[in-house]
Amino acid sequence: MLIELALRNLARTKVRSVLAIIGIIIGVMAISSIGIFGESLKAVILENFKDVADEVIITPDYTHGYTSIDARTVKKIENLPYAELVIPVKSESALVEHKDRKTYVTVYGMDVKKTKELFELEKGTYKGCLMGSKVAEFFKLRLGSKITVAGKEFRVSGIIKEGARFDINPNYAVILPLRNFDRLFNKDYSMVIVKVEDIDKIEAFKEAVNKVVNRKESKVSVFEMKIIIERIKEVFGKMTLFLMAIAGVSLLVAGISILNIMLMSTIERTKEIGLMRAIGAYRETILKLFLTEALILGLVGSFIGGALSFLGGYSIDMLILKTAKYVLTPSSVLYVILGISFGILTALLSAMYPAWKASKLEPIEALRYE
Amino acid sequence: MIELIDVVKKYKIGIHEVIALNGVSLKIEEGEFVAIMGPSGSGKSTLLYLIGCLDKPTSGKVLIDGMDTSKLSDRELTELRRNKIGFIFQQYYLIPTLTALENVELPMVFKGLPKDRRQRRAEKLLELVGLGKKKDRKPNELSGGEQQRVAIARALANEPSILLCDEPTGNLDTKSGRIVMDIIKRLNVEQGVTVVLVTHDPSLSDYADRVIRIRDGRIVDAD
Ligand SMILES: Nc1ncnc2c1ncn2[C@@H]1O[C@H](COP(=O)(O)OP(=O)(O)O)[C@@H](O)[C@H]1O
Ligand SMILES: [Mg+2]
Repeated sequence: MLIELALRNLARTKVRSVLAIIGIIIGVMAISSIGIFGESLKAVILENFKDVADEVIITPDYTHGYTSIDARTVKKIENLPYAELVIPVKSESALVEHKDRKTYVTVYGMDVKKTKELFELEKGTYKGCLMGSKVAEFFKLRLGSKITVAGKEFRVSGIIKEGARFDINPNYAVILPLRNFDRLFNKDYSMVIVKVEDIDKIEAFKEAVNKVVNRKESKVSVFEMKIIIERIKEVFGKMTLFLMAIAGVSLLVAGISILNIMLMSTIERTKEIGLMRAIGAYRETILKLFLTEALILGLVGSFIGGALSFLGGYSIDMLILKTAKYVLTPSSVLYVILGISFGILTALLSAMYPAWKASKLEPIEALRYE
Repeated sequence: MIELIDVVKKYKIGIHEVIALNGVSLKIEEGEFVAIMGPSGSGKSTLLYLIGCLDKPTSGKVLIDGMDTSKLSDRELTELRRNKIGFIFQQYYLIPTLTALENVELPMVFKGLPKDRRQRRAEKLLELVGLGKKKDRKPNELSGGEQQRVAIARALANEPSILLCDEPTGNLDTKSGRIVMDIIKRLNVEQGVTVVLVTHDPSLSDYADRVIRIRDGRIVDAD
């Protein structure tokens, strides 16, 4: 009966109730849609790095005066437990020329057989000299084009697909087989990329490096890609929350409007409240009645808003990310649930004060109120 | 039984003080029909609301069935009103969103009675006041007299032993007023409900066993 009474009270002031519901719908939609977008954005960015999560990069410990990693150390690393794949990399900045154009590019030397673990090719084969897509674009290179690296001529055998890595930027790189690199430059290794068997074994591998390689003095530093990915997740998570908080202002406005209509309602219904108290309603009953009304507004608005936020998320994703792939993911659903919860909570919180005020009315004053 | 002992009620309006009741003592026995009469502003309603535990006296005591109401909590007072007292007001005070039947059900809702029992009793009560056929109408689809009869049915919902009526015919024409008064009288005679009727209409005094006259917050003559 209390629910019935609440429903009829809401129906009595239809326009007001509908406006309050629309307010909640907009608020919930704003929060959840932005939540979905933030989550999609994070997913789009992380997609680029999904292969590197189990990678570890070992670099010389510059703080202890090491600027390169010698072959003996690399051997030690290759024999460490948990290392599934070890890719020692040499690098040097060198002048690259093709026809009348020239520029300085970072040239990497690594085992030809292992390059396919790090890069995807747009065209060509892994055997030989590989070009980053931006380098290829700059020189207008095709497969088989002749280029000069540090004065020596090579033929382009493959062009690397556009992508992103933290250790080597594939778009601006020139990759040479190790033995060609060694003919041009006389250098030790500048880093070692290690794929660890399992993400959970990264800690253990790090310990092994410190035990075996850094036993006497710290020769190398170990960076986990995982940390970078986690940092990205963290930053994007915070950014999403921040955007949601801004969107939350619209929910705040909805809350204030509910506060307002409920206050109006208590004033308009003063006599009814007095009457109900006179014929045996407890203070809590009046409190419950008003909270029930707000809860109904909150539930209806929040669920409609929640449903519509998939549409909102889809629109923003299509507009900005040009993909709807990440609209329906578990974490999007989580943000929608979050939005719905906030919508209901807002309605209840805003009704708290009016409901409390209504329940505090003395029956006699309410009945005599003019 | 209702007993008032030296009841004073003052209202404060800013720095002004209005003395609505100035030392009222009276006793009303079970099953009595008492009319409280007096000019407008004499304190009749104030007296009735104190009896009905809607308000508390500034000093003095109000005893209902020997119980000192000043010692009761708000919750206990609510329960007392709900179970022992029925109110009938000049302005009916029906809930406009509820049908006649639902209005009568309301006190039973607050008491926590199950729906089917509520409805059965509400229907019976509406029959009693002659509105069995109009139970599904909303208050605004009923005449003033009919609304007041719904209010009577509502007042009877939890089988109160006391019926407090504040100018029940004040807004009604003579004919409707008589119907309402006849129902109230019948309840008193047939069911032994104690009735306290507040009015400034002398013609209603015939219904009462006893008339208490009040002026400026004092009982002037109790016969
Ligand atoms: N809530 C109130 N605040 C201030 N004065 C009041 C209040 N209620 C009643 N009064 C005053 O108390 C006196 C008695 O009022 P009331 O009991 O309503 O008289 P009656 O019902 O006999 O007309 C009047 O002077 C009235 O103005
Ligand atoms: Mg009066």
